Amino acid sequence: MNLFIVMFKEIVDNLRDRQTVFYALLFGPVLLPLLIGGSLVASFKQMTIDFDAVTTLRVVNADKAPTLMEFLYSNNIDTKAAPDDVEKSVRSGESLVVLEITDDYGEALRNGSPAPLTLHVNNADKDSAKATRRINAVLNVYEQTLGSLRLQHRGIDPTTFDSLNIIENDVSNEGANGQLLASILPFLFIMSMVMGGFYLAIDTTAGERERQSLEPLLSLPLSRTSVVMGKYLATVCFVLLSSTLTALSIYILFKLFPLEIMGGQVRFDGPSVARAFFLVSPLILLISAMLISVSAITRSTKQAQTYLGVLMVIPMAPFFLLQYLNIRASLGSMSLPMLSQYQLLESAVLGDTIPWLHIALSVAGTLAATAILLILAARLYQREKLLD
Amino acid sequence: MIVANQLHKSFKRLGVSRRAPKSEQYIAAVKSVSFTALDGCITGLLGPNGAGKSTTLRMLATLIKPESGNAMIDGHDVATQVLQVRKHLGFMPHNAGIYPRLTARENVHYYARLCGLTRKQSQQRTGELIEQLTMLKFADRRATGFSQGQKTKVALARALVHRPQTLMLDEPTNGLDVMATRGLREIIRQLAAEGHCILFSSHIMQEVAALCDHIAIISDGTVVMEDNLNEILKRTGQNDLEDAFVQAAQSLSHGVDE
Repeated sequence: MNLFIVMFKEIVDNLRDRQTVFYALLFGPVLLPLLIGGSLVASFKQMTIDFDAVTTLRVVNADKAPTLMEFLYSNNIDTKAAPDDVEKSVRSGESLVVLEITDDYGEALRNGSPAPLTLHVNNADKDSAKATRRINAVLNVYEQTLGSLRLQHRGIDPTTFDSLNIIENDVSNEGANGQLLASILPFLFIMSMVMGGFYLAIDTTAGERERQSLEPLLSLPLSRTSVVMGKYLATVCFVLLSSTLTALSIYILFKLFPLEIMGGQVRFDGPSVARAFFLVSPLILLISAMLISVSAITRSTKQAQTYLGVLMVIPMAPFFLLQYLNIRASLGSMSLPMLSQYQLLESAVLGDTIPWLHIALSVAGTLAATAILLILAARLYQREKLLD
Repeated sequence: MIVANQLHKSFKRLGVSRRAPKSEQYIAAVKSVSFTALDGCITGLLGPNGAGKSTTLRMLATLIKPESGNAMIDGHDVATQVLQVRKHLGFMPHNAGIYPRLTARENVHYYARLCGLTRKQSQQRTGELIEQLTMLKFADRRATGFSQGQKTKVALARALVHRPQTLMLDEPTNGLDVMATRGLREIIRQLAAEGHCILFSSHIMQEVAALCDHIAIISDGTVVMEDNLNEILKRTGQNDLEDAFVQAAQSLSHGVDE
């Protein structure tokens, strides 16, 4: 009962603190997904070329290669006369790419020798590089067609020159892009949990010591354990709120962006975001326990911020580890909190089936770690040193 | 009623090697504190800074355990009957320690709820205290900008919220102006008249002389003299409490030297 009175008071108290509310309701759930998810989606857009979209290409001497112009046109590339100073135009970004048909293009083509074409590009500019890749791809197809025609003309089967026919069979459900995107999801969830409870945990433990309001509180007829647990539950509420909002904003964010541009079947629809949230939810209890027990050691809010800042490495560690090392999901990795959630969420987003044993191990490992930390926090509150 | 009997408490010194002898590793904050504070009386615990007043009060408030000796609050042992002691005791530490983002009323109400009162009882009791301590003007303002006097009133209301028989105030007049000090003294006298036992710690002689029925002089962790003002003056052969205090403290240091 006292536990809920403490919890309720801490929630009301901290809802009145702008800093706590900003980090719990805005930073984790809104700002972070927008920053990370947004930039990720933008970079995928940069990398992916949509061959169906109609684009315009500026060409010098278009009249010298009418067949090529027609081929470009049939590949959704309209052609337009180039400006006078080609290089300046490309450098300034006015034209992304300029194709120059050289004077001896027609002559070389007729002689059956390589016909020279010049592409004026600006590789320092991402948009120009992307346009270049598209033009190059289309020109390659044209070159192959011409090559085959030349061979056939001389009575040679064009396939003679294709000595190997390599077929790549990608057995992963999703390519490398999906992998990165899938590991972003647990990262966002965990960061929003940490940020959600961060300031409340500090304020209710180190802050209370600093304000010297702990001494009268502990002289009341109630057990210290219920004081700690009340503060813990208040932290859990904030972390829960923050991570729920994050799930919501991730769902909305990826609803706004067409996922086809990432080249596949990464799932961010309602059920799979809900599934991911369910898989990561035991961490709400663990992260709250971490925040409370660490800030219970500290004497001042400043010290608590330093300690917890260092502690933030733990939730982020699996993200970076998994970027460098290819750790396969195993019974061992599944019983490790944080790491198991990263792996489970990756599978969830990529649409893999997850063994129930893995889920059970992940939950059990996380709850066990939570219990240990809570016992530690309760012990810390029994110390006489707490009032120094 | 408070009965303290040879309370002793030492703390670990910071920055002393573990290989050093025990006597150097630990420092005795309270060496031997014995005194009695009766119901209906204002008892003053008078001593300079660092004499062990706060440590004594913390032991009585069950926040830390005495190493040796014992103390009873209304017949309950502070070492073993912790919850019983806390129920009978209101404790106001030397810094008000109120929550700045809560209003005065919410601060008191929170403590009322934690002491086991129902929501309704808490509201009623909080209302009573706000009236009794004349806090109406600022009762529903957040405590951020409160003056020291207002903070002290809130802290006092919190200490009184569960109607404790015994009340301990650790340097409550620190930082208060003349009017606020007078107001507080009035309230303390009133509470004593109602039959409460009040223990009041201070390092200000005039204040203790003006307010307390019974005085325990504490110096260097030891209660050196305990009596009413007149008796203390008589025993030390002095005319005012300050001289008497110096005399009493000196007699202690002589005792140690011999």
